[in-house]
Amino acid sequence: MFAYIVRRLAIAVPTLLLLIVFSFLLMHAAPGGPFTSERGLPPAVLANLNAKYGLDQPMWRQMLTYVWGIVAHFDFGPSFIYKDRTVNAIIAQGFPVTLTYGAISFVVAVVVGVGLGVAAAIRHNSWLDYLAVGISIGAQVLPNFVMAPILVLVFTLWLGWLPGGGWEGGQWQYLIMPVVALSTSFMASIARITRSSMLEVMNSNHIRTAKAKGLPMRKVIIRHALKPAMLPVVSYLGPAFVTMITGSVVVDMYFSTGGIGKAFVDSALNRDYAVMMGVTILVGTLTVLFNLLVDILYAWIDPKIRY
Amino acid sequence: MLIENTKMKSLADRLAGDEVKGRSLWADARKRFFKNKAAVGGLIVLLLVLAFAVFGSSIARYSNETLDFSIMGQIAEKGGPSLSNGHYFGTDDLGRDLFARTVQGTQISLAVGIVGSAIAVLVGTFYGAFAGYVGGRTDNVMMRTVDILMAIPYMFVLILLLVVFGRSIIMLFMGIGLISWLDMSRIVRGQTLSLKHKEFIEAAEATGVSRLTIIRRHIVPNLLGVVAVYATLLVPLMILTESFISFLGLGVQEPLTSWGALISEGSRTINYGTLWQLAFPLFFFIITLFAFFFVGDGLRDALDPKDR
Repeated sequence: MFAYIVRRLAIAVPTLLLLIVFSFLLMHAAPGGPFTSERGLPPAVLANLNAKYGLDQPMWRQMLTYVWGIVAHFDFGPSFIYKDRTVNAIIAQGFPVTLTYGAISFVVAVVVGVGLGVAAAIRHNSWLDYLAVGISIGAQVLPNFVMAPILVLVFTLWLGWLPGGGWEGGQWQYLIMPVVALSTSFMASIARITRSSMLEVMNSNHIRTAKAKGLPMRKVIIRHALKPAMLPVVSYLGPAFVTMITGSVVVDMYFSTGGIGKAFVDSALNRDYAVMMGVTILVGTLTVLFNLLVDILYAWIDPKIRY
Repeated sequence: MLIENTKMKSLADRLAGDEVKGRSLWADARKRFFKNKAAVGGLIVLLLVLAFAVFGSSIARYSNETLDFSIMGQIAEKGGPSLSNGHYFGTDDLGRDLFARTVQGTQISLAVGIVGSAIAVLVGTFYGAFAGYVGGRTDNVMMRTVDILMAIPYMFVLILLLVVFGRSIIMLFMGIGLISWLDMSRIVRGQTLSLKHKEFIEAAEATGVSRLTIIRRHIVPNLLGVVAVYATLLVPLMILTESFISFLGLGVQEPLTSWGALISEGSRTINYGTLWQLAFPLFFFIITLFAFFFVGDGLRDALDPKDR
């Protein structure tokens, strides 16, 4: 197990370094520097500014400083647009929000998705099964940026039940629509995967044996069927995490929840490369760590994997 | 006689008739595909959407750039869909004809989907086939590279690329093409591994055919089924990606538009009571995605050797 984790880390670390170096090079390829403006600064001021931010150093030196700052102190440097705020401060402001509704959405999607999938598989070809299949097909074409306006239209404008946006410290009324918008398509995929793998498991020999020895259905499902049926679901969690974190950008923009997605899009529109890079690298790190966790979980569940 | 004459005669006639025609793999697949009602329905919808994209601009009474000053400022009251004033889908919040805008958005979204998918087919197929066929260390390095690239949250990198190099449609095509081939290369590699030890490949190797020729002439044609299925399923994913970026306002720029941009505009103006601005682009977006998924599933059922 230990050797396996080490081997997985051996892929994870270069991935992150590659991402950091790539975004750094991209930023330098961008036309114009951080202090380029319409009016133009006097050369002396520009030189001083460049010296202050270390931009007069050779490029490899800047890159090393940047990478070292991230690796050693988790420091993404100053923002290019807001002179008084660092990238860390901007991220620290939005991250708890994203984490809150992201984690809730993730749990909701997994619990509801697995529940729906298992129920559909057990009651194969019943109305419940058709409902689950219908939902999972429908939700494929309802990504978060389609769900969000539809939800606002129905629950805010027509019914007037929920506020159309805002965060207010994460009160439940403000959480419902972001969570639903973010988790729907993902929940549908989990339900579909669970259903088909559960159907396959329920037809396998060990389930027949468990049934034959007279175990009640509930025990057969919980103790014998669920674990092997979860394998494809677990391997889907990695890509799902990426989809969700990407979707949080839409949620932040549409519901004004103020998470890191908002910081990302604002910086993209302002050309604040430092913040964009910071968010990208943060998201990349989270993704890589999460994938690592999923792989370990998978290796732990699946007895066929030998490391 | 125990056997009737007429029966003998009809048997002789039948034997003298045409030989039974052989059925090719593709003819079989075509037959299976056309039996699948959802897939055929999807194909018809796709053809209609395509026709809308191609001929729509000649039906539209206004150009997509003209502002209708008689409506401007009173969009909610006068800008609704109407046959009498020629704005079949109504107008957008600037008074531009939404029908013409939707046609334009459809063209761009379909183009993005098809180009992204085409890049995936070209790059992914050859990359995957090469890695799988050559094997060994080359394969290892090539596939680890794909692993690393796939672990990167591409949407963020794509937006970073678009911001740094300017938000042009060419950049959008390139950025989407850059990421679309990864999955394809994995699928193709898997298929190649299973093909590699078949007798006809061995025969080709024994007669001294070069590696590249084997990949081009023997491996790739046998992959076409899988590639076709996956390419069809990739188109809606590319459309989704583009729409996502355009929804955030970071994709195609005015005066160009796409479904994502139109949905974004429509969703920002719903509280002014101009629901049609969301409804029409969303309708086209949803039916097209549905259609692509159904056609893709139909193709998979028709071509997948596992289900025979």
